[in-house]
Amino acid sequence: MAVETFKYDNEIVRKFGIATIFWGITGFLIGLTIALKLIYPDFLGFIPELSYGRLRPLHTNAVIFAFAGNAIFYGVYYSLPRLCKASMWSNLLSKINFWGWQAIIISAVITLPLGYNTSKEYAELEWPIDIVITIIWVIFGINMLMTIWKRREKHLYVAIWFYIATFVTVAVLHVVNSIEIPATFLKSYPVYAGVQDALVQWWYGHNAVAFFLTTPFLGIMYYFIPKAANRPIFSYRLSIVHFWSLIFLYIWAGPHHLLYTALPGWAQALGTVFSLMLIAPSWGGMLNGLLTLRGAWDRVREDPVLKFLVVGVTAYGMATFEGPMLSIGNVNAVAHYSDYIIGHVHLGALLWNGGLTFAMLYYITPKIYKTELYSAKLANVHFWFATLGAIFYVIPMYWGGITQSLMWKEFTAEGVLQYPNFLETVQQIIPMYALRAVGGTLFIIGAVISVFNLWKTAASGQFVAAEEDQAQPIIDPAAGTKEKWHRRLESRPVQFTALTLVVILIGGIVEYVPTALVDSNVPTIASVKPYTPLEVEGRDIYIAEGCNNCHSQMIRPFRSETERYGEYSKAGEFVYDHPFLWGSKRTGPDLHRQGGKYPDSWHLRHMHDPTSTSPGSIMPAYPWLLTQSMDMESIDERIAALRSVGVPYAKGYEEDALADLKAQAESIAQGLHEAGFEVVDGIQITSDKKIIALIAYLQRLGVDIKGNNNPFEGLPSSQVLGTAELERRAENN
Amino acid sequence: MLIGFSLLVALIFLGLFFWAVRSGQYDDHHTPSMRILFDENKTKSKQETSINNKKDKD
Amino acid sequence: MSSKILTSELTVCYHCGEECSSDAIKLDDKLFCCEGCKLVCQILEDNDLETYYCLEDQPGISQRETRANKRFEYLEDETVIEEIVDFRNESSTTISLYIPGIHCTSCVWLLENIYKLDQGVTQSSVNFLKRELSLTFNHKQTSLRQVVELLNTIGYEPEFRLDRLDKKFKTSPDRRLWLKLGVAGFAFGNIMLFSFPDYLAGSSYDLDGAFSVFFGILNIALALPVLLFSSSEYLKSAWAAIKQGGINLDVPISLGILALFGRSLFEIATGTGTGYMDSFTGLVFFLLIGRIIQKKTFERLAFDRDYKSYLPLSVTILDSNGEESSVSVKKIREDTRMLIRNQELIPADARLLSEQCFVDYSFITGESEPVKIEENETVYAGGRVVGQSALMSATKEVSSSYLTKLWNNAVFNPASQKDKITSLADKISPHFTLTVLTVAMAAGLWWLPTGSEQSINVFTAVLIIACPCALALSTPFTLGSALNIFSRNGLYIKGIDVIESLSRVTDVVFDKTGTLTRSDQAEISFAEGQLTEKEYRMVKSVCKQSVHPLSQKIVSYLETLPLLSVDHFEEQVNKGLKANVEGKWVLIGSVSFLEEETGLYVNGQYGNEKAGSIVHVAIDDEWKGYFEMKSQYRSGITSLLKKLKTNFSTYLISGDNDQQKEELSTYFPDNSLLFNCKPQQKLDFIKELQDRDRQILMVGDGLNDAGALQQSNFGIALTDNVSSFTPSCDAILDGGALSLMDRFISFAQKSIRIIIWSFGLSLIYNIVGLSFAVTGQLSPLVAAILMPLSSISIMIFTSVTTHLTAKRMGLVAWK
Repeated sequence: MAVETFKYDNEIVRKFGIATIFWGITGFLIGLTIALKLIYPDFLGFIPELSYGRLRPLHTNAVIFAFAGNAIFYGVYYSLPRLCKASMWSNLLSKINFWGWQAIIISAVITLPLGYNTSKEYAELEWPIDIVITIIWVIFGINMLMTIWKRREKHLYVAIWFYIATFVTVAVLHVVNSIEIPATFLKSYPVYAGVQDALVQWWYGHNAVAFFLTTPFLGIMYYFIPKAANRPIFSYRLSIVHFWSLIFLYIWAGPHHLLYTALPGWAQALGTVFSLMLIAPSWGGMLNGLLTLRGAWDRVREDPVLKFLVVGVTAYGMATFEGPMLSIGNVNAVAHYSDYIIGHVHLGALLWNGGLTFAMLYYITPKIYKTELYSAKLANVHFWFATLGAIFYVIPMYWGGITQSLMWKEFTAEGVLQYPNFLETVQQIIPMYALRAVGGTLFIIGAVISVFNLWKTAASGQFVAAEEDQAQPIIDPAAGTKEKWHRRLESRPVQFTALTLVVILIGGIVEYVPTALVDSNVPTIASVKPYTPLEVEGRDIYIAEGCNNCHSQMIRPFRSETERYGEYSKAGEFVYDHPFLWGSKRTGPDLHRQGGKYPDSWHLRHMHDPTSTSPGSIMPAYPWLLTQSMDMESIDERIAALRSVGVPYAKGYEEDALADLKAQAESIAQGLHEAGFEVVDGIQITSDKKIIALIAYLQRLGVDIKGNNNPFEGLPSSQVLGTAELERRAENN
Repeated sequence: MLIGFSLLVALIFLGLFFWAVRSGQYDDHHTPSMRILFDENKTKSKQETSINNKKDKD
Repeated sequence: MSSKILTSELTVCYHCGEECSSDAIKLDDKLFCCEGCKLVCQILEDNDLETYYCLEDQPGISQRETRANKRFEYLEDETVIEEIVDFRNESSTTISLYIPGIHCTSCVWLLENIYKLDQGVTQSSVNFLKRELSLTFNHKQTSLRQVVELLNTIGYEPEFRLDRLDKKFKTSPDRRLWLKLGVAGFAFGNIMLFSFPDYLAGSSYDLDGAFSVFFGILNIALALPVLLFSSSEYLKSAWAAIKQGGINLDVPISLGILALFGRSLFEIATGTGTGYMDSFTGLVFFLLIGRIIQKKTFERLAFDRDYKSYLPLSVTILDSNGEESSVSVKKIREDTRMLIRNQELIPADARLLSEQCFVDYSFITGESEPVKIEENETVYAGGRVVGQSALMSATKEVSSSYLTKLWNNAVFNPASQKDKITSLADKISPHFTLTVLTVAMAAGLWWLPTGSEQSINVFTAVLIIACPCALALSTPFTLGSALNIFSRNGLYIKGIDVIESLSRVTDVVFDKTGTLTRSDQAEISFAEGQLTEKEYRMVKSVCKQSVHPLSQKIVSYLETLPLLSVDHFEEQVNKGLKANVEGKWVLIGSVSFLEEETGLYVNGQYGNEKAGSIVHVAIDDEWKGYFEMKSQYRSGITSLLKKLKTNFSTYLISGDNDQQKEELSTYFPDNSLLFNCKPQQKLDFIKELQDRDRQILMVGDGLNDAGALQQSNFGIALTDNVSSFTPSCDAILDGGALSLMDRFISFAQKSIRIIIWSFGLSLIYNIVGLSFAVTGQLSPLVAAILMPLSSISIMIFTSVTTHLTAKRMGLVAWK
């Protein structure tokens, strides 16, 4: 068999490179915007599409899926063919992958500010986009696996293993977490409720970090560090061990994101242990990367590529050390809900993902343009901007996070909260927010410099769209004589039986678990009832405005929290929450026991202008809630959808839903008018406005547990049917 | 449910692990790391010799 | 006077990086030390393979000692091919070649791009650590011979040895072990996950029934393959031991394993508990890690070579009508006429047909100087012809030659392998096991009154907790890291199990030629006179004409000097050389020769004629002085022997003459020097010492030491190139590291001490655990904590202390 000549498609690599840097800077800028909004709430005015709650998901999505996502493809499409000594299996699929992914990003850029969002962190995109994501991801997978299948280099370099792991797991994660029932074209409800939804979400959330922001970049590390340093990885064997131990452990470490929440203790506990066990493999990887450069530090000093790689790997080491620490109960008790976590994730995002990505850009661009980097000096300047930027970002966040969290927990000698007013703790750390914004700015300046540098590099060189290479195909001379794998397996009866046994058992278990989880795990509380249609609408507004980005609905069993917010949250209270809205960050106070805390009028004024009720509040104002009218058309569809995911609305209740909604809205409006809030600075308060629904929802929060109230009481449907009838319908459903 | 899926994923990887070891992917755990260094044809002129003077004798 | 001073300015060869003498060859801007290197470089550039020179600087292999004249006809001989290829079908052939020359990234690159030089090659991949190139080529387009000759011309000469034929299709043995480890690790990780909640059960969290049942099933499912697959070899070996009525360490281990699994199974089945599946899988996991380290050895070194690996694959024969051809040595019959060239080995005992030749037996007998053989005298297999090629007719077949007889000695046949020393662990394990069993019984009985249930629990609990996994780990981990440290310092030990015997050494026995001295390069000096550079060149030029070993030594000594034209050269056998160089008569040889040729009288007392390593020089009837050549001692020998003398009794047994007796006797105690020993005598000498139950460390290099090495308690083969041939031994020592010998021994001793300490450590764990067990309060949690804790801390303790010890002893501990 003769030698074969083939081409590496650099065009797609370049495309992804450009996308990476473009979306990167976009994402950074959005980040900066919302950072500023935390200092000057009225920055950019109070426009719905630009409000904090809607931009934050856009920021996270832009950075994770647009910046890091494109960077992953960038790295894979460059390194994979070269490692396999084969061109990508299908350039068409590559193109579809590219344009499809950009389309997804753009759709996110459109839908998220419009308030179409599922409230699930890093999975905010609504169901139609979810489907597209799945398709595009699978296309990427096929293209990758087929390339591997058609490779000319027998051995699969460890980087490829990391790529494969990325594809498989992310696919599973995304699908499992996005099982949702569409209500309307851009509105859906997850099949899971409350605890279970939370569990799934954070199993996803954690592994998104693990398999989207870690494994692919580890693969990239294992390819680009040796290439950039032009020497083999310190220990290839170690890298193999690194991969397998990471894979066998990582998948489990999800639940630690829910420590001290209503999630069953055992699940939290094991989450902790496993994340602790992760330190070992992670650090193995880091050391392997760094030791590769031993004796070459003189070059690290000059070469920006190596610099970024080194700082990236180091940050990885720090973050992977921090992560497990954070999953230890006591540490978590302090760090959770605070800005510490924000610092933690940005350490990873800015330096690990960012660092490796810029390293790639500086390494690949000159290569595909057959030239030298325009200015190593500029690149070094960028390096310092990036590093200092990250430090200026992370340190204040750590500081602020701990400060605030401790203030939340502080009691006076008399045993009352030292800072009963949440706002005090917020005011305390605003300077830190300011510093963070500075850090972010530095980082962005650096990125802009890199754009210029890369641009000049490209201009100075001659782009090679298709790079030629030669290799011989793999042929297995002993082919015919070797037996097939299953025959080999069967020839070892003991193992075979053992393995099949396992597989069968697993199969059965997978069947059995869901029921086990649902039935036996979440104790239902009799007094907990489904939401009324108006409350459903209110809840959807809550979600659309992204309130959960700043407000948790999960009171942990600490004295400091029960003192401040009221009785701690029980798993049973969330059984009708599709999706759960526990939140992961308390920029504002927890809202789970908000119901009945303040009069409706308070909420009205607060939403219209937070400072009017809470002087010094950094919460944005939501004037449009008073002017925009709620969505009544689709309420019946939404009720139906909710029923289909298990909320016990009576069959056919969707017909009565609208009437009930109107009636409840009417009574709330009445109340407000009687309280003298007919007009709030020139705006007529009518019962069809969004604010009414939101108030209804907020007043319902966490009240069920207090006593045997019936939210449907006094609503037309229940006038017609009576509560008892309602219950009956619920049963035979 | 989750446990099921996690376990399934884990099993997929266990399978891959078996394949990898059996098919001798890991019989040679050094040469591959050297092999990735020479994909594109370098020429004496443009490449850093500074660090590879030292030949690793094994 | 060193040759360096003679050369003008130094330049390195573009190809091989060796320094070029002033007669270096220029090709455009590049410099080459020799035609060979230039040739290779040209070949590569003509096939645009310059990358070879980019990956590394001067990656090439020096072509000075020309391989060009190597002959590979025998690779066309079907029988030979059949023997050496791995796989063959009608079109393609696969063969793995051992190429000692592989040393850097460039080598790998070039060899894997070999198809650019020979289109017939369809696949070529290098295993760097094994120095192995596996080739697949289409034997319709090219032939084995062509490929090998190509490799040879570019400087990567494959090494064909008789013994490599046997080792075909060897897949790395530890694959299964890795699989087992993978399975165990997988199960361990996952079961840990499922069991963890139970540890906290009863305390703050309670797990409802449905879950514990479900996790129970899951745990069994995961643990089953670990028992059946991963832990199989422990169970097997334990069973084997018991059947032979013996008890090895695997017995208590297996007891523990079975107790763990059985008990857990029972608990889960009866719903009385959640079992110890996590501890079980963890235990197996850690044990397997230990096992993997135990199997560790050096892939590219062969410790068990026999004479076959010393013999070449082929020999050149002359048929009746004087036609040369090269055939497999296996084809040698009586009266086969063999043509052995300079530096080639004599494969079978034979009768010399040429009028005379020189044979170097140093490797066989230890005799350092080549012996002169006259016509019709017998030459023995294993000798190396130096100088003129010699024609001889075989008197025996390879299988019955002298060399082979060496090997038929008792010590080499497996039946009478030197009794494996029972390792520490194995020694204590019987006692250990018995103690454990008695304790278990006792505890069981003690609890019997409170119900059989409880007493059984306690019984199993004891077996579980006493499972000596820490014990099983400390040895491999300590010696494993010791093994690495040794290798980093130039001593490559066969495997960790022999280190213990090194630690027990009482006597150290050295061979001389090639061990204390370097056989390859003799120390040459020009005494009693002066030669100008010009005169050196004249001498070299004359010697160059002669193939006499001494002449050749002189030539290589003056290597870097350019040559002059020589005429009227004549060589008087066993006397000397005479030639005219640029009008001057140069005489080189013995005193008598010079005196005969020139009237002048040379004072015979100069030098020590008997040593046969003195060459006088006269130019134009004027006596200039003489070259003196004495074998050169390795560096650091003096101090080493002094140090060793203090703690060990040292001996020297040399196959060589007692020429340097007085010199050597200063290093060795009186009457501990033996000369002119035949291999058998060496072997017997060792036996003798052993009968006075001494533990012998033998250091040797040649086949002549092979027997002794085998007989001794720890045999070290010394070599200057670890991949070259060494007789079978327990360890291969790099010539440079000989001076570290004393430290090696004491480091081995210290390592053993570390093991003992760690035993103590693990004993503490066991006692703690037992106190839980016998008092009947061993909760799964305690087990799950204690077990990994002990294992891991043992691993860390042993490897760290070992490294630190090494560091403190001034050995290289880390790379």
